[in-house]
Amino acid sequence: MSRQASGVIAWLTQRVTAVYLAVFMAYLFIHFLVDAPADDQALRAWVAQPMVTAALLIFFPILLSHAWVGIRDVFLDYVKNVGLRMILLALVAFMFLASGLWGFKAIVIAVIKAGMPG
Amino acid sequence: MKISVYRYNPDVDQKPRMQTYEVRPVQGMMLRDALLEIKKQDESFAFRHSCGEGVCGSDGVNVNGKNCLACVTPITELAQPIVVRPFPGRPVIRDLVVDMTQFYEQYRAVKPYLIRTDPMPEQEIPQSPEDRDQLDGLYECILCGCCSTACPSFWWNPEKFHGPAALLQAWRFLADTRDQATEERLDALDGPYKLFRCHTIMNCVEVCPKGLNPTRAIGRIKDLMLEKGL
Repeated sequence: MSRQASGVIAWLTQRVTAVYLAVFMAYLFIHFLVDAPADDQALRAWVAQPMVTAALLIFFPILLSHAWVGIRDVFLDYVKNVGLRMILLALVAFMFLASGLWGFKAIVIAVIKAGMPG
Repeated sequence: MKISVYRYNPDVDQKPRMQTYEVRPVQGMMLRDALLEIKKQDESFAFRHSCGEGVCGSDGVNVNGKNCLACVTPITELAQPIVVRPFPGRPVIRDLVVDMTQFYEQYRAVKPYLIRTDPMPEQEIPQSPEDRDQLDGLYECILCGCCSTACPSFWWNPEKFHGPAALLQAWRFLADTRDQATEERLDALDGPYKLFRCHTIMNCVEVCPKGLNPTRAIGRIKDLMLEKGL
């Protein structure tokens, strides 16, 4: 990570992603409160709507980059030992990468299955 | 009136202790006056003070859990029993006297002086009244240290994070139309530590005895970074 990316860019990333998260999560909350999918099939049909698919595909990288800046801040503040901090950051990075790929896979599968009858 | 003060002499004491003194309150008594009364009763008690009117910034202490300047804090405003401790997070030299070296090093690091690349004019560098107004709320800082030693980010990283007092001064020179080192100053502030350990906790705003707002100044620096960077 360049020096530039570690300061103002990280801060800006967190601010900008926060806007998307606030709007999209408010939508998710209201949707599941008012018009929750009745079953697995309905959930997949909802995910397969082009707008929802697109919003979800953007949602995961945005959520994870927001969380990355946040967790990195916590480690910078509280974990003094550089070696330990590196290990923790690497663990979180792998976890986030795996979570992102899993989220991507879940969306793709939902879209494919929604297109199939039954 | 009972005042409990922090006592610690690293040369003699194994560990710090709290000692309670009885002080007779008088009208208009400030906390500094009460500490001077204690000093009369017990000469071994140590604390810093000088001007007695909130200008020199020497007698910053932590009272009932909040940093303040003893000389401008009326004792009538304080909940009893009054508990006086040194600034949190600073190494104690003796009793209420703390080592502020790191605080001054952070101040020095922001280059708190005008930097000119143009040749210096024969006389003064003129400034419009509007330009001068930009410095209000910034130049009044007396470097008492109440803000930085109340800041959790400064507690965790005092050797890397500039802290609110130094960052207020960083903005004071960025905002000054006579200064010509904006780019260098902004470059020096980037990176994860010097500026960006600020998480807008705003303890600094709450405790500043001069009513200044370091958090807003830090926000202005971030805005300027974006303006110049994008």
